[in-house]
Order: sequence, then C-alpha cells, then structure tokens
Amino acid sequence: MSQNKLRLGVDTGGTFTDAVVMDEETGDILIDKVSSTPSDPSISLHQVISQALHTVGTQAEGVTFLAHGTTVATNCIIEGKTVPCGLLTTHGFRDILEIARQIKPEPYNLQFEKPRPLVPRQLCLEATERVDAEGRILVPLDQESVRQAARRFRQEGVEAVAICFLHSYLNPCHEKAAADILKQELPGTFLTMSSEVCPEFREYFRASTTIVNAAIAPIVSNYLERMEGRLKGLSFAGHLCVMQSNGGICTSEVARRKPVHLVESGPAAGVIAAAYIGIVSGSPNVISLDIGGTTAKVGLIQDGTPKISNEFEVGAKATGPTSHAKATGYPIKSSVIDLVEIGAGGGSIGWVDSGGALRVGPHSAGAEPGPACYCRGGVLPTLTDANLVLGRIDPDYFLGGKMKLSTVAALRAIEQKIAEPLNISVTAAALGVVEIANSNMIEALRLISVKRGFDPRDFALVAFGGAGPLHANALAAEFDLPKVIIPLSPGVSSALGLLLADTKHYFSRTYLHRLPEANLEELMDAFAEFESQGRQLLLQEGIPSERQSFQREIDLRYAGQSFELKLAVPSGILTAAIMDSLSEAFHRAHEQAYGHSAPGEPVEIVNLRVTAHGHIPKPRQKRISAKSNGNSALKRCRDVCFRAEEGYIETSIYDRYRLSAEAVLNGPAIVEEFDSTVVIHPGYRATADVFGSLYITKQ
Amino acid sequence: MVTNVVAPSPTRLRVDPIRFEVIRNSLISAVDEMGVALQRSSYSSNIKTRGDFSCIFFDRKLRAVAQAFTQPIHLGGLARMVPIVVKRYGLEKLGPGDGILSNDPFLGGVHLNDVTLISPVYCGSELFGYLASLAHHVDVGGGAPASIGAFRETYQEGLTVPAVKLVKGGALDDDVFRFFMANVRAKRETAGDLRAQVAANKLGHRRLESLASKYGSEALNHYIDELLDYTERRTWQEIAKLPQGTFQSEGFLDDDGVTDEPIRLCGRLTIDQGKALFDLTGTSGQGSGPMNSTLSQTFSSCAYVLRCLVDPDLPVNAGFYDAINLVAPEGTVANALHPAAVVGGWEVSVRWVDIFLQALAPALPDKVCAGGKSMMCHAGFGGFDPRPQRDHYYCFLECLAGGYGGRLGKDGPDAVQAYSQNTENAPVEDVELNYPVRILRYELVADSEGPGKFRGGLGLRRDYLFPGHEPTFSILADRLKVPAPGLFGGLAGGLAYYGRGDSQNGEQPLRSKTTFTVPHGSYVSMQTCGGGGYGPPSERDPALVLKDVVEGKVSLDRAREIYRVAIDMDSGKVIVEETARLRSPRVPE
Repeated sequence: MSQNKLRLGVDTGGTFTDAVVMDEETGDILIDKVSSTPSDPSISLHQVISQALHTVGTQAEGVTFLAHGTTVATNCIIEGKTVPCGLLTTHGFRDILEIARQIKPEPYNLQFEKPRPLVPRQLCLEATERVDAEGRILVPLDQESVRQAARRFRQEGVEAVAICFLHSYLNPCHEKAAADILKQELPGTFLTMSSEVCPEFREYFRASTTIVNAAIAPIVSNYLERMEGRLKGLSFAGHLCVMQSNGGICTSEVARRKPVHLVESGPAAGVIAAAYIGIVSGSPNVISLDIGGTTAKVGLIQDGTPKISNEFEVGAKATGPTSHAKATGYPIKSSVIDLVEIGAGGGSIGWVDSGGALRVGPHSAGAEPGPACYCRGGVLPTLTDANLVLGRIDPDYFLGGKMKLSTVAALRAIEQKIAEPLNISVTAAALGVVEIANSNMIEALRLISVKRGFDPRDFALVAFGGAGPLHANALAAEFDLPKVIIPLSPGVSSALGLLLADTKHYFSRTYLHRLPEANLEELMDAFAEFESQGRQLLLQEGIPSERQSFQREIDLRYAGQSFELKLAVPSGILTAAIMDSLSEAFHRAHEQAYGHSAPGEPVEIVNLRVTAHGHIPKPRQKRISAKSNGNSALKRCRDVCFRAEEGYIETSIYDRYRLSAEAVLNGPAIVEEFDSTVVIHPGYRATADVFGSLYITKQ
Repeated sequence: MVTNVVAPSPTRLRVDPIRFEVIRNSLISAVDEMGVALQRSSYSSNIKTRGDFSCIFFDRKLRAVAQAFTQPIHLGGLARMVPIVVKRYGLEKLGPGDGILSNDPFLGGVHLNDVTLISPVYCGSELFGYLASLAHHVDVGGGAPASIGAFRETYQEGLTVPAVKLVKGGALDDDVFRFFMANVRAKRETAGDLRAQVAANKLGHRRLESLASKYGSEALNHYIDELLDYTERRTWQEIAKLPQGTFQSEGFLDDDGVTDEPIRLCGRLTIDQGKALFDLTGTSGQGSGPMNSTLSQTFSSCAYVLRCLVDPDLPVNAGFYDAINLVAPEGTVANALHPAAVVGGWEVSVRWVDIFLQALAPALPDKVCAGGKSMMCHAGFGGFDPRPQRDHYYCFLECLAGGYGGRLGKDGPDAVQAYSQNTENAPVEDVELNYPVRILRYELVADSEGPGKFRGGLGLRRDYLFPGHEPTFSILADRLKVPAPGLFGGLAGGLAYYGRGDSQNGEQPLRSKTTFTVPHGSYVSMQTCGGGGYGPPSERDPALVLKDVVEGKVSLDRAREIYRVAIDMDSGKVIVEETARLRSPRVPE
C-alpha cells in the first residue's frame, strides 16, 4: 500500500475510534484504533487519521474518499446538549410537544417523568392559519402573526426554528410562506420546515422530527466544519462523506441540512458491512449481529438490502434486556436501518434475583469499572468473565495481548455472586451466564426475524464486534440459522462498512387514497418529482447519472388500519395492471406478516417513497493464499468448556492471520486475532474462504 | 379473610435455573407475538393506536401463565374471566381448532366492548392449555355509537355474547359471525378486528406447539409449575417488604349519570403475611346509571395498585394474582349484579387507585402521588359520513388525558392518562383524514393544576366541530364536581368542563355522562381536570413558580395569590423581598 488511491473509513464509537485505510487497487487494508475523545470527537478523528496515514507512509492528498460514522447527532439528544430553538405551529396546537402521546412511559412507576420537550412552552408559538385534511386552505396565513413570533424568537435568542403546520404534508404553501418571512426576520437562524424534513401525516411525529432536526443542526454543522478544518490541515482535498441512519452516505453539506437523518449513523455502518460480506460469501440473506461492550445489535438483510424502518425514537431508555420503553425519548420519522438493540454485551452483569433465577443484564459494568477480570475495581461477574472462566478467551491475548486479564478475579466474582447463592459449580454458573445472555440475544434475533415474518432458516448469521464471534456459533445452533460468517477483523467491521456504502437519499410524502381511486398521473408525477430532486442532489455530490438509480416504494394498508406494509413499485409508466398486481402483492404480504388477509377489502395508499442511490465503486477485496489445511495456523492447545456434560476439553487454538484459504477446522476449536475470538463448538466445522472469512456450519 | 398463611418455602428453584429463564422468556415472547400481530392488523383505533388489547396463555389447570398487554387495565381481568367462561361453556365441548367468543360482563367479563376469543391449545391430541385474545371493539351496538352512554341496564349497552363457539375446527362459523355483525355499527372495523383475533390465536397456538415439542409437554408443564411458584415466592417477599398493617381511605365520584347522588368509594387495604387484602365494604350500592363495575374490573385496579408497589420486574401470572384477596360486596358499584349497566365501570374502577394511594400516603410518602385524573374520560361519536364516497356508519372513540398528581420531589406530569389507563391519543391529522370531524384546538388548560410544593399536572382541552352532518356524541366521564385531591397540604386540581356551543347561542355546559346530537355548526369542548398538588403551595420553589408563569401554565395572579410568589414580568424574575413578605406568616391568607 503506497502511492495508490486510498479510501479511508473512520468510525467513532464510545470507547474507540477506528480507522480502516484501503488501497483501491490491491484491496490491502490497514487498521488503526485510538481512544475516543467524547468532549470533542474531531480530536480522536484527527489522531487516528494522521496515525493511520503515517503508518501507510502517505499524505492525505492520496485519499480519494473519506467516510465517517458519527455519534455526534445522537449524543446531542442523549446528553441534552441541544441548542435553544423555537417551534412555529398552527393556532390552537402549540402544545403538540407538551401533550406528545399522552402516555406514561412506565405505567407501573408512579414516579415516572415525561420526556422534557426540546422546546420550552414559551417558545412554541402559533401562527394564524389552517389547512384541512383535503389540503384546502380554511384560514389564510396571517403574516403578522408570523412576524410577531419572529420578534419573540429574536428576543429569546433562539438559534434554530422549526415550522410545523397541520396537514402541511398535503399543502406546504403556508409553511413555505412562513419560512420566507422568518428568513427575512431572523437572518442567520437555522430554519427547517416539517414539509421538507418529513412530509408525512401524524402531527406529533412530524413536529418531533422537525424539532430534533432544528435542535441538533447548529451543533452537527459546527462539528463537521471543525472536522473539515482539521482535514484541510492534513491536506485532504476530497469530499467528506457521512453515514446516515439509512445505511447510505451523503456529503457533509447534505448532512448539515438534515442532521436528523444521522442519529443511527454509527450502528448503520456495521450492517452495511454485514450485507456486503453476505453478498461476497454468496449469502445475500443475512442477519447481522454486532456485540460490543454493553449492547448487542441485530439487523436483517434480505437480498443484500438491509431492512429499513421508517420510525425511530432518539434517546429512548432501556427498561429490560430486550425492551425500550416507548415514549421515553423523541420519536422521529426517518429512514433508519431496522435494528434491535439489547443490553447484552461483554460487560453485561450476571446476577441472581430474589426468586432464585439467574439473570444477565441489562446492567453493564461498561468500560469502567469493567468486568471483574479487568481488575479495575469491578467486582461483579460479567459475560466476559464467564467466557474467560470457560477458557474461551485467552487472558494473555486480549487485544492481541495489549491488556492482561485476571482469571482469578473472574472466578472469584462468579463464585461469590452466582455459584454460591445458587449452590452450583463455578463452571455451571459461568455456562449459565453465557446461556442466558445467549437467550436474551435469541430474543433479539426473534424480534428481528420471526416477529417480522421472516424464517431464520433462510438466513446466515454475520457476526462481528468484539464479542460477536464468541457467541455466534451457539446462537445459530439454538436459533436454527444454517451458517455463521465471521469476517476478518470483526472488531472494525463498522469502519469497513463505511467504505462499502452507497450514497442514498430518501424521499417520501403522504398520499392517502384508495388504490383503485388513485390517479396514476398524480402518482407518476410524485415519483418523478422525487427522482428529479434525487438526481440533482446526487449530481451535486459528484455522482454522474450512469451511477444513479432510483427505487420506488409505496406504503399500503387495508382502509381503516393504522400500520402499513411497504411494497416495491416498478419504475416507468404505471398502468392499471401494475396497480392490480400491487394490490395482490399486498394481500400476500399481509398474509405473510400477520397470518390473514382480506382480498375483498379496499386497499389504501398511505405514503409514496423514492430512494435515490448513488453507486460508489466497491474496492477490490484482498484474497488470501490457499493451502491445504489449518495446521500451519495452530498456535497451541488449551482446555475450554463448551457444555456441562463434557466439562473442559482440550481444544486447538488457531491464529487467524496464519489461516489460509480453504482451511478446515473441526470444532471444538478457537481462532484468535487482534480484536476478537471465534468459538467453534463441538460438532461444528469452520472453513476459511479466499477473503479470510470463516464459515461455521454443522459437521 | 387471610388465614393460616405460610411463607412459600425456599428461595431456590427446583429446576435448572438456566433453562427456567429461557422457557420463561419463550412463553412471554409467544403471547407478545400474538399481541403484535393483533395490533398491527386490526382496524379499530382502540386496538391499533390505543393498544387496548391483551393476549394471555393459561395452562391446562386454567392458571394464568404469561400475558402480553400494553394497557395495565388488562391486569387481572382476563385472568379471572377465562377460567369462568371455559368452565361455564364446558371443557368437554371444546376440540382442536375451536374458538369461543365472549363479552358477557356477568360471566367474569368487563364491559361489552371488550370481546374475548378463547382457544384451547393441543399438543397432538392432548390438551395443553388455553390462549385468549381480548380486544376493545369500537362498537357492539346498543344505545349510541361506540356503545357508550348514560345507559340504565346492560341490554341498552349492546349485544351480549355469552360464550359462543365462533371458530369450529379452525373455520369461522358463518352463522354466528353474521349474527354478530348484524348487531354492530362499524361493520368493516369489527370484521377486520375479529379476523385479527382469530389469526393471533392461531399464531400463539403455533408458538406454543413448537415450544411443547422442543421441551416435551410434561417438562414444559413442570417448568410452568415452577414459574408460578417462583412468582408467588417473589410476590410474597415483595409484599413482606411493604409497610404492614391496615390502611384506609374513601372518596367520591360525581354521580351515577342518572341521579345527582354522589357515589361513595370506601377502601381498606390490609398488608399482612405476604398477602394484600382489599376490602371495599361500605361502598355505595349499584346505581341506576352506567357507573358500575364488574368484579373483574375492580380486581384489575387492585392488581394495579399492588403492582405499582412491588419490583416492576415481577412476572404477571397466577403466582402474582393469588396474592390479592378482594372483598367487594355484591350489589355495590364495585361488584354490580345483572342487569346493571357497566359501561362506565372503568370510570369507577380506576378511581380505586386514587383511594388506595391516599390510604397508603402516610406510610409511603415517597412512593405515592396526589390524586389525578382518575377517570377514563371517554368521548365517542358517530353517524353517517357525509363525505363523498364514504357513505357508511362511522364510529369513533377516544379517551382524553388529564393532570397527574404531584409526587414527593416531582411535579405531576401534564396531560397524561390515568394510572392503569395508558391509551395513546389519535393524531389530529389521522382523525381528520379518517372521520368527518375537525379538531379546533388541542392544548393544555392553564391554571388547572392542583397547586402544591410539587404541583399537579395540567388538564387538556380538545374541541370538535362536525362539518356537513349532525352526529350523535356521548361523554362518559367524571370530575365535574369532585376534583383530584391534593396531599400533605397540596390543593385539589382544577375541575373538568364539558360544553357544547356555537357562534350564535354561546356555550352551554354538559353533564359528565350524556348522549346528544350535535347540531350543524356546533362544536363540543372537552376540558379535562388537573392533578392534585403535593405539599403546601407556599413552599414551592419560587424558581419553579417563575418557570410555570413564563411557560404560561400558571397565571401571574395565581402565582401571587396561591403560591405567594411575586414576579416581575418585564425582567422575568422573582421579586425576592416581595415574595418573602407574601410568604411570611404575618400576611393573612
């Protein structure tokens, strides 16, 4: 790797900031990690980039492409660091954010709190105007009422204003007129309209999305500017791209206007990596499993495309191992890679409840004090401690040996907190912790697949993150997933995913009409309008038309229902025959999702959607050489416990980096690399492919 | 009464604690999945948006094992009702693929809108247990759209389904189905909701079958026994941690909806030996209007009170319910007998939570809250949709939020549902798109809070206009006369107000239980009550009073007169000396 064109992916996590440098021609990869600097993430970013480039021995001008996964947007909300902002809404509805959903997030907790609105009530102001449910103007916009609001916003020193009028998704003319007035009255203030950010019905959710956008925009903007400044210092001349929650990247200019679409930027990249690994491994249907220190995140990828959800709650609080309380955060209507996140990671604590049942999580020892075996003051037994006690982790090869773990401390914690109270052996207790953590993760796998109508047997499991490869085999065995794929360097899959993402922009609007009554001209016009907006945006981002493509989708439901199913719409001219086949496809999808359908019932269109893709050429993947077997990679043997029946059995330990293509390892076996450990259970077999990925299947 | 209680023995499981945890999660996940399928594919906004449904699994001994619900109001009710219905219908008359439908309030049920489908679960030919799905249907016929109103007997409230086989060997019985459908107004919704219930039960059946085949039905039953024992044990321990003794209080509802007589609720809670005894002796006799609860409705509120006091992680099953003893004399509003109207039963039921929290306040001042909305506050309407191509009978029902009571160290939140009620609001845009109605305003009611050191929450206001037609509107609510009480020197919350008006004649107040026609051009205004305050308002932090004034939640005068805080609006600051003077004991109240 030297003077070729380089691509750089940088992912900021809670603990580490990871960089992956990839040579476009050869596919050579270099990985680097530095500790994150949460107070100003652009510092660790600068560090990791200069460090990585130094190792490669090049300057930033050799970098043609730089993509970044960031938690800045979501942290603004979680840490309550939003800017002072105002809301302008329709007369009679200023309390849209105060009333919210009128529900209690924790119905059995008499001491519950509603989330604090991001705009205080005195800055929720009303404009005199009203549009009805058909989009007709009932009360024309009173410009003076907007000016009055502007004066108030100015007095209070707001830095951003969100405009959300009733039924603006049907007729945005009042929002636009009000924005024009505010632009004059409040120069320099960030303005955002609900009809632009989220033209979908259900006012609280639309207003909340627009407000989140307003409340974080100045901060995200500032961060991206700082970062661009630092990159300029490194003589980087290309575009800075940012990962969006939808798994597509966009330029930093686009990100600044709609930062609400960045809230799941970090986790999205890992799913993109999993999708890519699935495709090159010939498994386009995969479930991605990313297990880190405190959580496990599970996503589903069908035909190479991650499933997308159109709603998300920013800053929601976890209430159980597998549940987040609804209405503890701020809902946004944004395309977000559909992830189930649970409180099960290496730091999850095992404990015995008052009825004598063994539980794991959702409390985590985190990075500080960390698992007992870190010897940093943690005394409670964690999942990492259990894996250590079972011999699955090598205490002398954690982070490639950079950090020593104490087996004695792990044993003591498990013995005192679990084995003794339950009157079982330490081994049984450690196995129990692992099995219950696995059962929590299986619940997450079930939520993402079966509960959404997918059969797990049709999917491979792509596992990454520090702890993913430790658990993947057992989870797949228990949940009937036929194959596990462990990519090379699973600890930095997210950073790698940044280099594999396409540019993506989503457009949507509500179009509430029954299917047979829909005006085909109107539908085609709406799709065409989105496509032309997308085309323009992609051109601005430097993506020529031959690398652009557009995908149309439509949300349908039976008239009278409230939840919609999303179906693909063919491009080109829409005909009555196409609409009929959509209707049939909907009945089938309903049957698949819910177990019944009603072909005689009228079907209703709710939303129209277009995704604009800008295809980014994928880097060539590095191939590893093929030799006959895995013996050359054998490091040594140690005793590892897989099942209570056999106890500890002698197990071969392999070095991942010395493993050649087509190597076959029969379980029980352990494969170690710098930032991860792969466990292969008895009765299973791992084979390496030419890209270094390991496939685990039944023997 | 509670006699000879023995503490459940060892705190240790008699089964593999690991497999136990896995099975426990799998059982909950099976009923959860039923709930998701039911909610997502249903039509009534009660089910799909407001989440008014419940799915439950019983073992073959008819003990509640696992339950999925988002509405705490469904605690206990189904657990009581299903065994009663199954036994009455006759176990011997059930076979694989059957489903019995019931909504009979006097057969262990609640109100007629809550329609339950019960299916036996078989593993091969052997009976393994029962699954039930309950859903609040928007209309079951009766005297007014949405089946709510100031009815005087159950026959006016809609169609009673007294445990009837709707599904036979997996197929819907068309005769029963048509008979049911002929009696309801919102036909498309009802048909869709019933289909969703049938599918949900089938889904649950498949999940349980696969669990039984994985672990073996005998082993699974063994683990279920252990789960119930485990829950009983933990419930016992949790109750033992509570203050022991007898705690009592009483309160009133406005009226029974027909006469002006207030309804008296009298509650005595005894916590002793790991059990909770709720004794409602002394409560008013059943009334001539709809404000009567069935025993299941009353039980649900008692279960709710207990659940709020124990570890939220405690499973909900027979092991928990068995710790609750309830004495509710027959013929009272807490245990009404046929043919009483019971559609207002939830209004009565939820008020028990207020009563018992007040009873517990001296012993648990940091756990309870001051009085709150403590009513469902139903607004229902319907008629023929005048919009083009919509010519059908529509029905709509919603429940409006109100203020929550103040707590030690915390204000009561504004505009939230009462205790065991947790239904979401229908978005204004959703309502206007789907029904011929226009919402004129939806906002907080300033100055409706119960003043206190920690104030109660504000009530809210929602005004409705009906373009192009004259629908029938029903209100089924309370709190026009009896406000949410304050606690420890906190004052009562503001009263509710319900009115109808138009531009020519002004506005007239309405009763809290009433059905009427809305004339062309008239609007209906629903303004809900505030929550009670906690602690004396003169001890409230002046900075918080200032914040309320700046936010427009409390008026300047009220700040001065009740909270005794002087504020200078120009500078936006508290006038410290003036406030000290107002708060000094020499200034007369």
